Amino acid sequence: MNVEEKKAPIRITRFDGLFRGRQRLLSGLSGVLFAFLFIFPLFASGFWLNTLTSLLLLAAMAEGWNFIGGYTGYAAFGNVAFFGIGAYGTALSMTKLHWPFFPGMIVGVAAAVAFAIVFGLPILRLKGHYFAIATVALATATGEVANSWTSFTGGSAGITLPFFHPMQLSGQYFYYLSLLLVVFGLFLTWYIMKRKLGYSWVAVREDEEAANMMGINTTWAKVTAFALSAVMAGFAGGIYAYWRTFVLAEEVFKIDYTLQMILATVFGGPGTIFGPFIGAFIYYILVTILVFFLPIGQLHATLLGTIIILVMVFTPKGIMDFISGKRKLTWRALLENVRIYRV
Amino acid sequence: MNSLELTQCIVNALLLSGTLALVAIGFSIVWGILNIINLAHGAFLMIGAYITYWLFTLYGVDPFLSLPISMILLFIGGYLVQRYLINFVIRAPLLVTFLLTFALEIIIMNLAVVFWKGDLRSVTPSYAGMGFALGEVQVPYVRLAAFILSLILTGLLHLFMTYTKMGNAIRATGMDIDAAKLQGVKIGHTYAVTFALGAALAAAAGSLISISFPIDPTMGGAYTLRAFVICVLGGLGSIPGVMMGALLYAFIEVFSGIWAPSLKDAIALLVLVLVLIVRPTGIAGKAFYH
Amino acid sequence: MEREVILESQSVTKHFGGLAAVEKVNMKIYQGEILGLIGPNGAGKTTFVNIITGMIPITSGKVYFKGRDITGWPAYKVGRIGIARTFQIVKPFRGMSVRENVAVGAMFGHTGHTRSSKEALEKVDELIDFVGMSHLKDRYADELTIPYLKRLELAKALAMEPELLFLDEVMAGLHTKEIESAMALVRKINERGVTLLVIEHVMKAIVGITNRVFVMNFGQELAQGTPEEVLNHPVVIKAYLGEKFAQRHMKQKAVAAKV
Repeated sequence: MNVEEKKAPIRITRFDGLFRGRQRLLSGLSGVLFAFLFIFPLFASGFWLNTLTSLLLLAAMAEGWNFIGGYTGYAAFGNVAFFGIGAYGTALSMTKLHWPFFPGMIVGVAAAVAFAIVFGLPILRLKGHYFAIATVALATATGEVANSWTSFTGGSAGITLPFFHPMQLSGQYFYYLSLLLVVFGLFLTWYIMKRKLGYSWVAVREDEEAANMMGINTTWAKVTAFALSAVMAGFAGGIYAYWRTFVLAEEVFKIDYTLQMILATVFGGPGTIFGPFIGAFIYYILVTILVFFLPIGQLHATLLGTIIILVMVFTPKGIMDFISGKRKLTWRALLENVRIYRV
Repeated sequence: MNSLELTQCIVNALLLSGTLALVAIGFSIVWGILNIINLAHGAFLMIGAYITYWLFTLYGVDPFLSLPISMILLFIGGYLVQRYLINFVIRAPLLVTFLLTFALEIIIMNLAVVFWKGDLRSVTPSYAGMGFALGEVQVPYVRLAAFILSLILTGLLHLFMTYTKMGNAIRATGMDIDAAKLQGVKIGHTYAVTFALGAALAAAAGSLISISFPIDPTMGGAYTLRAFVICVLGGLGSIPGVMMGALLYAFIEVFSGIWAPSLKDAIALLVLVLVLIVRPTGIAGKAFYH
Repeated sequence: MEREVILESQSVTKHFGGLAAVEKVNMKIYQGEILGLIGPNGAGKTTFVNIITGMIPITSGKVYFKGRDITGWPAYKVGRIGIARTFQIVKPFRGMSVRENVAVGAMFGHTGHTRSSKEALEKVDELIDFVGMSHLKDRYADELTIPYLKRLELAKALAMEPELLFLDEVMAGLHTKEIESAMALVRKINERGVTLLVIEHVMKAIVGITNRVFVMNFGQELAQGTPEEVLNHPVVIKAYLGEKFAQRHMKQKAVAAKV
């Protein structure tokens, strides 16, 4: 008799973010969300289409930040540099070389990745605060160089790109392109996290020394995470440049973009597949409500700051745990963080 | 550049280094003892500058006399912020405290813009533009006074850290928190005092800066970054280290400001990255306050 | 018959500033043996292992693994060539389940290049059984107690399928009964064909499981030989217990010998 024993499926607890807990509900919900996003341009245009395109670009960059910040555990505060370089690379190859958009965008992404590797190799040796501030410094310095290198980047006059033809489809075109990038990011995250590379990232986050001793080339792991976050931000920068048809250093190197990526990821849940995507929605909804619907004058930044503080104090691991049902939303759960980390 | 200009630059850098040391020292204490990068440090500095401005503009208080007032007010503010906010998450991962202090900066800056408007303002006492000449080199009185006051405050801080009970408690906490606890140090209170000291020193720096330079609500961020660069240059944790770092930074800033004005910050920041890579403990790296 | 040397260190030296933490240590580890590495606290045992495994740079000296010069190799390369270690202060990947923790070893260790992450996850069941943790397979590492974390350390290292394994105080902090089972586990690991270097303070374990013992003091070799020889060696007793006790001990032995 040869009865093959049926093996129980292996539960992979770490990497399935959304699929743990209330699996069906959540996959249903995200299905509905994507269906909505897909048909959205049919009944909306102008302001709302632009807002959602911005949101999707933010989500894509947050997905990229999640690689280095969420999964690998390095607090990168300069990812806007990849966005800016992606935007400039695209703009320059389209205006100076008169290349079409897609090859131009590839140049931008390649430049961003090259930047990530060249500077990532030395600065990824730094830890904690030092790494964080080195990335801030690098991004700020890059922005300044772009701003003052007038002969190459146009300096404070910026670069004007050709318009997209036909004009009336421009809104939809960039919207769907951004949506595609977001879906690509989700797929990329899922793909990597099932594979060895994903395990090496999380191992580095949890204990870099042990990871190294167990045969993980930690330098390689960190640099790939950094470079792949540059891929996402670089693409976002390229799309942004052609969409807005104008690139200005002061705009595309703004540290605010880095913060938005981080906040979106943290709101949703760092180190989860859907966290950055959902977090970007939460962040945008909050900001939109604050700016347009609340009669608080110019105080919306104060309110945003207050929200950040509340999130940092009560749910620094994001809301995914509550949504996915891993933890129940109770006072106890909210205060758990304070209980663990207070003096 | 002729020798006169060179001498003038050196004098300017020296004078600047005093204020910068004051900016960085508060930041350095908070970082060294609490292991927090206080991104709101520059915002505290900005409040200090505005306190001096308003006291001068509304009540005619001499800017130098307003120094203790802004220090006391920020000391109280800093104490409350640490005691009733940051202490709750003090041991959380880096990102949490980073974003928390950043949110504080956003809030303070936003409130300042709303209530005080975004205009550039200047404190202009009668002696504002005056100075004396050393040979042909100009030395403005206010900058010299700011330099001397910075040194005095730094010296006082050193005495406080070395000879008072609280200063010792702070140092002990920075070295070994568990041992400090066993010795009966109240950690929550000590942390709050440390943070308050940092805020008060930032306020002092802000008050002094407001006499020499125009101020606006967004001025803080640049100073936070400078404080960081100086701490890295000088190494975390020693007062002489911070002063050396400030001196070095002042020279970099003044001279790169002449040769490549638009790349002033970029050069300083690239120096920072270089130092971090080559020597992460800084030039005079030492553990905590001795 | 000359046994085959699996690891050889030639005058391995490590200075921290002006301080010599490890000074000219020559050690040979033979294929298939269990070698004990003992010495008082601060003798440089863990530092020695840190040097060999590439976790800290070497000051001078040479390290050969199966005749191959591995001096100055980065830790991950040392791990891949077939050397694994556990840590005295356990280093689990807290955000991963037990299974994933162990699977990381199978993914990146000595034989890691031969399998995908999925194969690694399937493969480690047997190992988790082996260290007696099958009921905890899907728990997160941060939910485990210290004895289980120590077992997890072992399983992680074993999953790398090393030829040589350094065990750094796996028994510290365990009570008598747990030590017994840990000793049995170490013997079983050796029976699987893994050569072992065991750093341990628990003398019972050293006597019970090792074939040979290497003693370090002040960063230098003090003695080596069989456990019985070494533990009764006056120099070793002196190093552990101090001069006075050593003399008393020798006297007692002399008296015992006369009787």
